[in-house]
Amino acid sequence: MTVATAPAPPVTSTPPSGSSRRGVLRWLLPLGPAIVLLALFLAGPILWSVYVAFTNETLTGSASVNSEFVGVANFTRLFNDPNFINSFVLTFVFVIGSAVIGQNTLGLIIALLQRGRGRMTRSVVNGVVIAAWVVPEVVAAACWFSFLAEEGTLNSVLGISQEWLYTAPMLAVILANVWRGTAFSMLVYSAALSEVPKDLVEAAAVDGAGPGRRLLHITLPLIRRSIMANLMLITLQTLASFGLIYALTGGGPGTASQTTPLYMYEQAFRYFEIGYGSAIALVMLVIGALFSLIYLRLIKVEDA
Amino acid sequence: MRRTLAGSLLLLTAVAGCGADTEQNASGSKELEVLYKVEPTWPHLEKMLTDAKKQYEAAHSGVTIKLTPVQGNNEAYYTKLALLNRSPDSAPDVYLHDTFQVNADVAAGKLAPLDEYLAKWPDWNEQFPDSVKQAAKGGDGKIYGVPISTDTRGLWYHKDVFAKAGLPVPWEPKTWNDVLTAARTIKKKLPDVVPFTMYSTKIHGEASTMQGFEMLLYGTPGGTLYDEAQKKWVAGGKQFTDALTFVNTIYREKLGPKQADAHNAKLADKANYEWFPNAKLGIALDGAWTAAAWKPTSTKPWAEWKDKIGWTSMPTQNGEEPGAVSMSGGWVMAMSSYAKNKQEAWDFIAVATNKENSLTYALGSGDLTPRKDVAADPKYTADNPSVKFFTDLASVTHYRPAFEAYPKVSAQIQEALEAVTTGSQTPEEATANYAKALPTAVGGPDKVLAR
Repeated sequence: MTVATAPAPPVTSTPPSGSSRRGVLRWLLPLGPAIVLLALFLAGPILWSVYVAFTNETLTGSASVNSEFVGVANFTRLFNDPNFINSFVLTFVFVIGSAVIGQNTLGLIIALLQRGRGRMTRSVVNGVVIAAWVVPEVVAAACWFSFLAEEGTLNSVLGISQEWLYTAPMLAVILANVWRGTAFSMLVYSAALSEVPKDLVEAAAVDGAGPGRRLLHITLPLIRRSIMANLMLITLQTLASFGLIYALTGGGPGTASQTTPLYMYEQAFRYFEIGYGSAIALVMLVIGALFSLIYLRLIKVEDA
Repeated sequence: MRRTLAGSLLLLTAVAGCGADTEQNASGSKELEVLYKVEPTWPHLEKMLTDAKKQYEAAHSGVTIKLTPVQGNNEAYYTKLALLNRSPDSAPDVYLHDTFQVNADVAAGKLAPLDEYLAKWPDWNEQFPDSVKQAAKGGDGKIYGVPISTDTRGLWYHKDVFAKAGLPVPWEPKTWNDVLTAARTIKKKLPDVVPFTMYSTKIHGEASTMQGFEMLLYGTPGGTLYDEAQKKWVAGGKQFTDALTFVNTIYREKLGPKQADAHNAKLADKANYEWFPNAKLGIALDGAWTAAAWKPTSTKPWAEWKDKIGWTSMPTQNGEEPGAVSMSGGWVMAMSSYAKNKQEAWDFIAVATNKENSLTYALGSGDLTPRKDVAADPKYTADNPSVKFFTDLASVTHYRPAFEAYPKVSAQIQEALEAVTTGSQTPEEATANYAKALPTAVGGPDKVLAR
C-alpha cells in the first residue's frame, strides 16, 4: 500500500486530473489481478453464504431448488437451540483451554527456557516442537488417537484400561491441540525475546530484582505487543479448528466435544441444512471479528 | 508483474474449462457417469458395475461408461451425492440411491421417472414382485429406480457362546425381555464376550435409525413414526420411550459394545470379521446381508459360520402378534433428471440390473435379491442357508415412511439414540427432545401428532 501514498510524479505539463488518474492506475494495476481473483473466487461464495443464511435452503429435497427467504428465522432458531449453545460453550472452553492458556503459556515457557541455552539444545527442542506443528491435522489426530485409545500408549504406560476419548473427550482434544499448536507461539516469543535488550535485564539484576520480578517487570512489558498479536492469531485459528476434533472424536460421544465448527458441519453436510449451517457460520464470523477487534483495540491502547 | 498476469489468465482459462460440457467429447462419442459406493470390505457393487460396463460398451459402440466410486460408508455417500446433485453440471447420470432418500430428490425434481422405459422392459413385470416395485415409487405414483437389493432384519447369534453360557440352541426369544435375559446371562458367564451389539450412534446414520431404533419401535404395540390415518408424524410417546429404554438398558448394564466401539464407524467390520469368528460376540441385531461377511465371496471368508452362527427373528416387545418384527428398505439404480442421454442411461440401468449382474451382486453382498429369477437360481441359496429365513421375514416386515421429511426425522432419532447410548439423557428426556425438534424437521406443528 506504500505505492498508493507515494506522490504523483511532478509532470507540470499535464492537468492535475490526469496526474491523479495516473496515480490511481499506479496502484490499481499491480493490485488488479489480486482483486479480480479475490472477487472471482471469494466474493461470490461469501455473498452467497450470507444470502442462504436467510433462506431455508437445503442440499436435498424441494427446498434445495425452491428455497425461500425466511428472514431471521435461522438465527432465532439458533439462539434457542440447546445444541448450538452447548457447542458455543465448548468452543469457548476449547479456545481458552488450548490456545489462550495452553499454547500461549507453554510457547512462552519454552521460549524463555531456551534463552541462553546452547545451539544444540535449541535446535533439538525447536525441531521436536515444530515437527508437531508441520504434521497435517489428520496425522496429528491419528497419533493422538493411537496414544489415547484403549489399547494405546498411554494406557500401556499407566497399566490401566480407560477409554480416554469417551471419558474425557474435551481434555483429549485440548491436549492434542496444545501439542500441535505450541510451536507457533514458541516461534513468536523466541523472536520477541531476542529483541529484549540484554543490558536492561542485567541492570535490573544488578539492582537486586530476582528472576520472577525481571520477567514480570522487564521482559513481559517489553514483549506485550507480541503477546497480543500472538493471542489474536491463535484465537482465530483455534476458533475455526475443525479437522483435529473431527478426526479425533467426531464431536462425540454425543455432543460432548462438538464445538461450533463441528456442529455447523453436521447441520450443513450431514443433515443437509445448508441455510441453517450458513447462519451458524455467519455467527462464527461475527464472533471471530469481535475477538480480533478487542485484541486490536488493546494493541492500539498500548501504542497510545 | 507480467508473470502474475499470465498466471491469472491461466487460472481463468482453467476455471472456464471446468464448466465445459463433458457429456459429448470431440470425437462425438457419448459418456455416461455412474456414481456408486465402495469400501475395502464391500467391493460387491463395483464388481457388478464393472461387469455391466463391459457388457454395455461391447453392445453400444460410441458410449463410454465412466464409473465414479465414492469411498466410504453410507453417510459419506449420501453427502457426496447430495453435493454433486446441486448442479446439473456435476450431477452423475446414473446413480446408486438409498430408497429412503428418493422422495426428497423427487420433490426437488432431481430424478427422472422411469415408467416409459419400464413399460418396454419385459423383466419389470415378469421378474420384479409388486411389493418390490414400490421401493422407489415417488409421491406422484411414478417409479424412480430399479431395485438392486431389498432386505429384512433380525438377530444373529453365536451358537458356541450360547452353549457355553448355558443358553438353549436353537434360540427363539419371544419378547424383548428374553433378549435382555440372554445378554445378561452371557455377560455373567462369559465376561470377555460382548453380549449384544446394535447400531445406536450418529456415526452409523440411517443404520442406527433402521437396524437399531425402528426394529424396536415397530415391535411395540401401535409403535410407528408416522400415522397413516391422520397423515401426521408421531411425536414420541410411550412406544418411543420404550424403544429408547431398551437401548438404554443395553448400555447402562454394559450388555453392549464398549463406547469406543459403539462410536466406531467400523463397528460392523469388528463384529463380523473379528468378534463373531473368534466367539467374542453373543447376539447382533443386524440385516439379512450379514452372512456375506463370511461367505467365500467375502474379503475374509469364514467357512465354519454355517455351524457356528444361528439366526432368529427380532421379537415384538411383549410377544404381541405377529410375534416378530422386521424392517425393509433397499437400494435402487436411479437416473438423474439432468442426464443428457436418457435412453443410453436407461439402457445401462437395464443391463446393470439384468439377471446375470443382479446375481453377481446378490452373491457378493448377501442382500436379498429383488428378482424372481435370481431367487430361483440354485447358486443364490447354495452358499447361504440363512437366505430363506430372511426372505420369509417379508411377512412381518415394515417399511419406513419414506416421505421427503424422513431423512430429517431420522437425524433426530439418531440424536435421541446417541444420547441414551452415552447416557447423557434418560430415555424420557431424549423422547421429549425428539418431540420438541419434530415440528421443525417435518415442516410445521400441523404435521405432528402429539402423543
